Formats: sequence, C-alpha cells, structure tokens
Amino acid sequence: MSAPLLEASKLVGGYGGMDILNGVDIAVGSSEIVVIVGPNGAGKSTAMKAIVGLIPLKSGHVAFAGEDITGAAPEHLTARGIAYVPQERNVFRTLTVEENLAMGAYLRRDDIGPVTARIYELFPALKDKRRQRAGELSGGQRQMVAIGRALMIEPRLLLLDEPTVGLSPKVIEEIFERIQAINGAGVGILMVEQNARAALTIAHRGYVLATGRNRFADSAEALLANRDVAEAFLGGAGYGADA
Amino acid sequence: MPDWSTVLDFVGLYLIPGLVTGSIYALGAIGVSLLFGILRFAHFAHGDLMTLGAYLALSVVTGFGWPALAAVPLAAAGAAIIAVGLDRAFYRPFRQRPTIISVIASFGVMLMIRSAVQLIWGVQSLEYKSGIERPLLFFDQLRIQERHIWIVGVTGLLVLALHLLLTRSRIGRAMRAVSDEPDLARVTGISTERVIQVTWLIGGALAATSGIFIGIDSHIDSYMGWNLLLPVFAAAILGGIGQPIGAAAGGLALGLIEELSTYPWIGDNPLVSPDYKTGLAFAIMVALLIWRPTGLLRGRQF
Repeated sequence: MSAPLLEASKLVGGYGGMDILNGVDIAVGSSEIVVIVGPNGAGKSTAMKAIVGLIPLKSGHVAFAGEDITGAAPEHLTARGIAYVPQERNVFRTLTVEENLAMGAYLRRDDIGPVTARIYELFPALKDKRRQRAGELSGGQRQMVAIGRALMIEPRLLLLDEPTVGLSPKVIEEIFERIQAINGAGVGILMVEQNARAALTIAHRGYVLATGRNRFADSAEALLANRDVAEAFLGGAGYGADA
Repeated sequence: MPDWSTVLDFVGLYLIPGLVTGSIYALGAIGVSLLFGILRFAHFAHGDLMTLGAYLALSVVTGFGWPALAAVPLAAAGAAIIAVGLDRAFYRPFRQRPTIISVIASFGVMLMIRSAVQLIWGVQSLEYKSGIERPLLFFDQLRIQERHIWIVGVTGLLVLALHLLLTRSRIGRAMRAVSDEPDLARVTGISTERVIQVTWLIGGALAATSGIFIGIDSHIDSYMGWNLLLPVFAAAILGGIGQPIGAAAGGLALGLIEELSTYPWIGDNPLVSPDYKTGLAFAIMVALLIWRPTGLLRGRQF
C-alpha cells in the first residue's frame, strides 16, 4: 500500500468518561476495501464515528489525503470527499428516494443529473421507487438509498457501518457485490461488518479489534487463513462461512 | 332537502366564520409544527409572537396610514427578524441541552414579549380601523365581509407557497431532512443553523400574519395570542406535529369544528352553546393525546 488515503493512528476516546478506543490504528488505501471486524463492544462503530468527527477524541490523529482532519466537524469532511453511512437512521424517512439522493448532493452546486443516473444504474431497484418515501422501503432498499445518498458527493472514501445488518442472505450478497463495484470505480471503502467472513472475502485488508485495540491487522486472505482469528473472531455461524 | 335560503345562511353565518377562524389557527399552527419538527421543543411564546406581529402592523397602519392588509408584509418581515433575534439570544445557547430547557425559556420569552407589547402600545384593546364595513352581497342574501375573503385567500396562498418551498426548494428539502434525522443531515453537509434560521423566519412571519388577521377580523389586545395558544397547539397536534401542511389542515378543521358546532343541527338550538366552543379545542386536544398522539396525519409523538 502506497501513501494511504485515510490514516487514523492511536485513537483514544469514547462517550462521556468511558474510553471505548484505547489506541486504534486504521489505514485505508485509495483503491482498497478494508473491513473492521471484532466482537460486540470492541469499538468498531466507535472508531468509525471518531474518524468522521461524530464523537470527540482524547488523543490520536486522523489524516485524509495527507491533511490532518483530527476533530473536524462531520459536515466539513463531507466537503472533502469522505462519505459516511451510519448503521441506523441512515435515510430521511419522509423524503422520497429521489429527494434523499438530492440531499446527499446538498453541497454540490453543479448538475446532479449524471451522478443520480449512475446511482440508479448501480441500484436499479431504486429507480422504480424514486418517488416513494424512503421510510416505506424494505430494509435492503433502504440500505441502497443510504449508500446512494452517500455516493452523491462522489466521495474518495466511503465509510459503511454494518451495511448488511438485518438483511437476508440474498440481499447481503447483492450489497457486497455493489460495494465491490463502487470500489472498482476508484472509491476507497472502510466498513464495519458483523458478517465478518463474508466481508473479508470481498476485502483487501482487515483489522480485528478487541477491547478498543488492534488485535490483528493483515491482508484479508491472511486473516481468513489465520486459525487464531478464525476461531476467536470469525465464528462458524456467520453467513458466508462456507464461502 | 334544505331550501336555498337556509344553505346561504349556513354558509354566511357558520361556514365562512369557520374558515376565517381556521385560517388564523392554521397560520399559527404551521410555525409551532415546523419549530417542533426541527428544534424538537414546544414553542410556548408562539402566541405572543402573533400578538407582536399584530402590534407591529398597528404601528405601520398608524405611522404610514396604510390599510392593515398592506401592512402584512412589513410587519411579518419585522416579526420574522425579531424571531431570529430571540432564537439567537434565548434558544441557541440551550441548543445542546435537554429541550425542556428551551421550553421553559420560551415561557420566559412569552412573558417578555407580552410585557414589551404592553409597555410600548398599552394594555387597552385597539382596532386597525373603526366603523362598520358593508359586507358584499351575493344571491341577494349571502353577506360576506371583504376582509374575510382576503383572510382565507391569503392563507390559502401562503400554505401553497410553503408546500412548494418544502417540496421544491433546496432549503425546504433540507428543513424536512433535518426534521427527519438531524444527525444524518449533519453528516450529509446540511448546515443545521441555517435551516433553523429559515424556520424561525417562516414561523415568525406566519405567526405575525395570523395575529394581523385576528386584528383585521376583530380587534387586538396584548393577550390575543396567549388566548389562541391552546387552539393553535391543538391544531398542530391534530395535523401531526412536525408536519406543517398537516398543521394547516388541522387549523382549518379546528376552526370549522368550532363554528359548525354552534349550528342548530338538531332542533332549533345550537348543538353546542357558543360559550363553550373554545372548550372544544381543549377537548379535541385531550382526546388526541390519549388516543392518537401522533395526530391524524401520523406525525411525530408530541
């Protein structure tokens, strides 16, 4: 990996007085898919929120494209090309699909027609539903709206927090396929995933977090082949165990 | 089959007054609903914002000699700017704190506005224009005051304009987005403070217009807005809080219910004595909060 697009080092912080992160390091290259896995409470989502400035850091640094962005407000990161899809409440429920996408491009002043068309190409199911309220869609379609909304700024880095939680295996497969397609278009991707094994099969690299620290950091293949990682963190039950 | 003359009486004496009252409620309720959707607190000073607008119009009427209707844009703009100023001074400092603090602050603002109005303009009730106006006559029997046509017509136009703003404009969609998911709106790059500012401008302007319409319809006094706070909140809840167009419909419905309830539907006496008609708003609000707290159009829980 050459100079990384995103480099977060020694992140320490959490909610209130409790530190959930105790020194997490994460880097994402500009054409990589990087997955963060680990048990519940390991600080996966917290690390992501700290990177996008939704929770304050006690110490540590975040750099994006060579610039220090530690402590920058989320709305400023959007303008720099970092798009974030939260795990929950990630669509504007009373806005239509089309309006959700338009909101994603809120900071753009140019014609959003072409990028909107590309999102509909990526998620054809959304095109038929474009005048429907996002709150009325199925879980999978809602996730597509959430990802589509984030892509409207044509980000260089896309952060996805548990993009497949609560979805059926068929839809999970489709979402993972789309994520690979987005990455294929040159967008760096960092995602937190419960479906660890399946996520690692589409990823380039992965981090295993436990109790707010990096436990393993390696290429996805190496992590999948590592018996310690497999036994402790990838379980047997997860979707894609046989993949 | 009721005869033509009875129908015309019904329209002139019940339906039109209901639409006028409903329009006044609607304009106040829109602001309450918008503000609740975006700032998530019940703005109790909203009635007194209506009062303030009515008195600003009085100054325009007496100062420039304009008719009250012509004073609406200027007075509404003044009230809108004052609303933004009040937000800066009394609500913004509490933005990151529990919303109950803003609710209590709005009680304070309510008393301040009322006292300021009493200090500047006095406590006696006043009129924009004295004397009796001859109503327009339709079908030799139906008498409609010209001012009532204006009140209902302008309200209709304002609601339509608001609807277009919320659905077609960039800032309007952003307002709905912030109302839906404030955190997501932030990561999307929407400036919450800008949205809040526009919300106060709209809420303040519509409240002032509502207050001026009360004055055009009857008279103004320093308690006029306070007296309307209950029906305005009831209308906002009826329409589904956080749903401004629903609030407008709720206001219209409430005004009609109040006036039509006094019609002698059964026998020769009013169904509900006019003395009790303001109590209806209260009864409807209590019933809604018990059985359907999200309002008829499924808004946010109040």
